[in-house]
Amino acid sequence: MKYLLIIIVTIGLFGCANVQKKDLSAFTNAAPRSILVVPVVNKTLDVDAPLYLSTTLPIPIANKGYYVFPVNTTKFILEQEGLYEGERIHLIPTPQLAGMFGADAVLYVTINRWDAQYIVLSTTITVDFDYRIVSSTGVEIWRENKKMVYQPQNSGGGILGAIITAAIARAAPNYMPLAQAANQQVFQIGPNQLPNGPYATPDPVK
Amino acid sequence: MRIFSICFIVMISLLGGCAVKGKYNWNGYDKGLYDAYKDPSQIKSLQIKLQATVDLNEQNKQIVAPGMYAELGTLYLQEGLPDKAKMYYSKERDTWPESKTLMDLIIKNLDSRPKLIEKSNP
Repeated sequence: MKYLLIIIVTIGLFGCANVQKKDLSAFTNAAPRSILVVPVVNKTLDVDAPLYLSTTLPIPIANKGYYVFPVNTTKFILEQEGLYEGERIHLIPTPQLAGMFGADAVLYVTINRWDAQYIVLSTTITVDFDYRIVSSTGVEIWRENKKMVYQPQNSGGGILGAIITAAIARAAPNYMPLAQAANQQVFQIGPNQLPNGPYATPDPVK
Repeated sequence: MRIFSICFIVMISLLGGCAVKGKYNWNGYDKGLYDAYKDPSQIKSLQIKLQATVDLNEQNKQIVAPGMYAELGTLYLQEGLPDKAKMYYSKERDTWPESKTLMDLIIKNLDSRPKLIEKSNP
């Protein structure tokens, strides 16, 4: 019993410990308080992928202690300026974009892959995202890549259950959990997670 | 028995350290926004949801998540209610100093072209 517990604790330690801490000195030197999340670039044919991704970016970054500019308001303001496409927005020099919003840093996300494979019994989706944070001075201070293979949870019920799950996934896919998990892993729990921001204390100062 | 207790405490603290903390009450903001993008007829329900979240947080004297006041303001602006929008943009600015540049700019723009907005929303 004793040893079993020790083993469990040890596994817990490994599970929590970051495999490889990346160098975050550029980020900590820039010490951004606020992050502007701009519309993502979608290199895939899936029109829903950018919706899933852009709506799930703010929560993990804000929970990490940063002020995240409201994504829909940001999108609205950019559209007022005639800027609709992620591709075009990503080409604007960061200092100009950051200056317009008064942001300390800008997050750029590119969707490289979003492949859903529908097989009779299951649906598998393979994704690949690139994340970059650039400071308002135009220096890249953080970058990450996320690859994931995701299978919507089978609710059980044997083969019939699996067929139903696959059919539902195909007819009305919900990839919210995938996007949430990817972004949470990248910003909050992964080996290259963001350092704690200014509001990371349990009770943010109002 | 002692080792058991120690292990237990360590495990609990590990769990605490690992757990992803929910700092703010988001109340399904991400899903609501996705639904509104996917189906514009859901914009109104997003607005109602955000309004309820903001009201509840204020009642409980809980800080409103970053950006939420402003998102609500933008939904009111798009609905043709610039005064209500300005009220929430001001709240965003007063809650989060990082948003001051942007919120002041939006409010200033709204003040300088009130007629234009009224015209587009009879």
